[in-house]
Order: sequence, then structure tokens, then C-alpha cells
Amino acid sequence: MPLAAAFLVPGSPLPYLRPDVGPWTPLATACRRAGELLALQQVDTLLVYSTQWIAVLDELWQMRGHVHGLHVDENWYEFGDLPFDLRVDTEVTAAAIAATSAFGVRSKGVDYDGFPIDTGTVVANGFLNAGGQARLVIASNNVYHDWATTERLAASAAAAAESMGRRYAVVGVGGLSGALFREEIDLQTDHVASAEDDALNRDLLSALDSPDVAAIRKHAAEHAGRTRADMGLKHLAWILGAVGERYAGAETLAYGPTYGSGAAVIHFKLRDAG
Amino acid sequence: MPKGEIIAGFLAPHPPHLVYCENPPQNEPRSQGGWEQLRWAYERARKSIDRLKPDVLLVHSPHWVTQLGHHFLAVPKLSGKSVDPIFPNLFRYNFALDVDVELARACHDEARQRGLVAKLMQNPNFRVDYGTITTLHMIRPQWDIPVVGISANNSPYYLKMEEGLDEMATLGEATRAAIENSGKRAVLLASNTLCHWHFHEEPEIPEDMSREHPENYAGYLWDMRIIELLRQGKTREVFRLLPDFIREAFAEVKSGAFTWMFSAMGYPEIPAELHGYGTVIGTGNAVMEWDLTQARAH
Repeated sequence: MPLAAAFLVPGSPLPYLRPDVGPWTPLATACRRAGELLALQQVDTLLVYSTQWIAVLDELWQMRGHVHGLHVDENWYEFGDLPFDLRVDTEVTAAAIAATSAFGVRSKGVDYDGFPIDTGTVVANGFLNAGGQARLVIASNNVYHDWATTERLAASAAAAAESMGRRYAVVGVGGLSGALFREEIDLQTDHVASAEDDALNRDLLSALDSPDVAAIRKHAAEHAGRTRADMGLKHLAWILGAVGERYAGAETLAYGPTYGSGAAVIHFKLRDAG
Repeated sequence: MPKGEIIAGFLAPHPPHLVYCENPPQNEPRSQGGWEQLRWAYERARKSIDRLKPDVLLVHSPHWVTQLGHHFLAVPKLSGKSVDPIFPNLFRYNFALDVDVELARACHDEARQRGLVAKLMQNPNFRVDYGTITTLHMIRPQWDIPVVGISANNSPYYLKMEEGLDEMATLGEATRAAIENSGKRAVLLASNTLCHWHFHEEPEIPEDMSREHPENYAGYLWDMRIIELLRQGKTREVFRLLPDFIREAFAEVKSGAFTWMFSAMGYPEIPAELHGYGTVIGTGNAVMEWDLTQARAH
């Protein structure tokens, strides 16, 4: 079973930088729990898609073998810096890049000193892969790619990992409802911006625990249309595309606010292979 | 202390291609040129800066996106390498800039007094965005004038467009008040493209100008209409048309810099100097100047 696990985690740096803030503590605790669950699987490779790595031309993939430095979030710089040290699975990435032309997507690798790794990828790696045990395949979010294209990209990355005999996990990095507070708030009172968003987020989380992937796709599209969802929930498309027919449901490890927007830590259930 | 003043405003777009094609020592990639009309346009704008001798440059960039309010760079010296996440093959720029923290703080305070959410960016490890750097490099490659960098809150995207642009007008009023109280002579830089429809793939040789042209004919016509009105000094008419222009040409002026600059300048009905126009991956870019010192002299 090369595919060993799948997780969806928030891309906001708030729970990572300030786990002491009450409304963010459950998300931080659950992200660390997800890291523990992942560690048990001893995977070689993580297939990571963060909504915050924005691409406009082509589909970009990280191709620098060792990426390290200090990231500062453009919004939440006041809460501290984000040091990172990532190892990239360049063999699987190269295979994934080569595969996408088959479905009409031009891909490019990026291999540049100082390339700005996005906050979501840094935070997800920090929670799930702090010791750097696994190497990463990191795909960008091309804003012109739709849900179906994102699923195909994920499936091709998974196929590349499988063809190389990797034991791997899939990680989608992003939020749920996207409405946020536009004024300063007391952090201890943070909550999802509206009762409607909160209810729709909870409905979505409930729907994810069904093995009916077609229904999940429909539900996700409706949710995205009503909640300013983070990039149309394409990080969920990445999960579904990579997991494919092994999707068996999901367990929500935590759900909460990140300055008004919705966030969740989700551990996906997988059918046995074969 | 004499009263400070805004001496000029520039529409100063930020395609990183313009730095790439110039081959400055700060940028790692090398080119064989390209986009010469826009590069030459900026050469003309640089001469105006030489003549105007401002104390400070203020730039509003759509590529420093902040969700919570309007942010101002507020660290005296910032340096590092800024790599464009979209065009890393073209822009890997080692920057070092001096910030006018005093004026940044005054703009911040004036914005808050007007009910806007504003913040001072005081993290010394902050990486300045490529939009801010490209505009500043193209207008003043010597980097010898202190700057105030302002983020894009993107309120015109998040709120109803007109509501968001009203907020940018308020930010402009706050900026003008801060400058007047500072005693300084300031130049404003609106870092915006006009029509923003663009190609989705890059040529193998990025500077292959045989591949460069407007992506969208209707957008090009909109650009020419807006530029012609600005050249005639018909500012009110431009702002009447602005919502339609933004919607139909996907114009980047939606991000607010253009409105911020004109509000700060008091929406002068004076003819703009067009230094040049050109496309970059199909988008429309104009380098334009409003010299308020000449307007006042007349």
C-alpha cells in the first residue's frame, strides 16, 4: 500500500505561531496529532498542495532538492518568523512534471535560491514533518486550474510516487470558509465570521465522512459558492485526486476559526488497496 | 517647517520583465533586452525624478497583499533577495532600501484617525514584494531616496468594488495629510498595470518580442481610451468610467493604487505626460506622470 495516509490542514500560520491563543489551540494540537499519526506510517514522500502557492503561468513544482531559509508571512509578521528546512523528492517531482502534458497542462520545475516558499507549505511541514523524515513533492495552485484539473494533477503525482515505489502521504493545505474579520479583534474571542459559514463548514465536514466521492464533489462546489471558500477548496480536490478509489471517509481532528475564516484538521480514511 | 507637498504622481507598473530586460547588477538572470518601449518610458520618468528631486517616494503595490488593513513598511533599512513567485526565471533581485519610517508612521496614524485599519510592518526579516521593488528600481535605480511602501488591502476585491475604492480614496486623503505635515516633497507611485488580460504560457525565450502583443483587443481599446482621457486631463471622466474599465479590461487598477494616488493629489484635472505604453505577456502598461509643481506654476 504505497498510499499510507491523507490529511487536510490549515494554511494559516496563526495556530502554528500562536498555539497559546485559545481559539487556535485545538487546531494546533490536532495538527501535532496529525504529525504523530503520519510519523507512524513512516512515509518516504509527502505530496503537498497549498492554496497559498499561487501560479499564473503553467503549473509550477518545486525542484530544488534542499530548500531552507526564514519565511515571514506578509500578513502575520508580527507573530514571528517561520524558519524552514525542506527536502524535496525531485525524482517523483520530475516524473509528475513529465506526466501533465498528457492532459494538457504545461508544468515547470522551479529551482532557485531564495524562491519564496509559501506560508501554508512551511506551516504544514512544520506540523507534520518537523524532523524532515519525509521528502516533499510541492505543487503550486495555478489560479486558472479548476477542480477537475487539480484532481488530475494530484492523480498524476500519486502515480509518479507509486511508479517509483514510494510509500507516500497526501497533504492538502488550506482553509474552509474564507470570510475573515477586517477589523482588529481580541484574539481570544476569535470565531468563524458568521453563523451561516460555521454551519456550512460543519455540513461539509460531515459530508466528508461519507465514502461517496461524487456527492463530496457536489457538496464542496456548493460550499465554495456560498462561503468565499479558500481557493474553491482545491486543496480538497488534490486529496480526492490522489486518493482516488481508496477514499473511505474522514475524521475531523479539529475545527475552528483563523481570524474569522474556517479551518479544520482532517484525517482521511483509506480503503485497503486491491 | 514649510508645509510638505506632493510634487508629482506616476503611474508606474511593475512587470518584473522590465528589470530583467535591463540587466541591472542586482538581478541574477541575464536577458538580451526586450520591452524596450517601456524601458525607455521609464528612462524618461527617471529624468523627471532627477528634476523633481523629491525627499521621499511612496509606492502602493498590489503584490504585498494584506487581509487586515493597510500596512506600511516601518523598518529603517530592509534588505535581502526578492524572488518573484510567478516569474522566478526573470526576477531574483538583491534589494536594499531605506524606509522613511517617520512618514510611514504619520501615514499610519492619519489612516487610523480616518477609521481605517492600519499597521506598521516592523519585522526586520520581512521580504519586500517584487511589485514594490520593480516600481522603485524602474523609477530610481540608484536607490538613494527613502521610500514608504504601502500594502494592498484588496478591499476593492473583498468588498463591493466602489466601496473598496472609496476606502482607497480615504487612504489617499490620509497620505496627503501626512505628507503636508511632514514638510517633505513627495512623489507618489501607483504600481498598477492597466488592462490585465494576459497570456497563460511564457515563450521559450521570454524576451522574444515577436510574441508580445495585447492579449485582448477590447482591453487594448480600453487602455487607449483611458490614456487619451488622462492625457487630456479629464480626470473626472476617467473616474466615472473606472468601474466599467475595471470590469471589462480586468484592469489591475482595481487593487487601489490608482485611486489612492489620485485622491492624495486631489484629483487634478491636468494633462498627464505619457512616457510610454507597452504590453508585457499581453497586459497593458503605461508609464505616466502628473507634475503638480508645473500645474501650480501655471
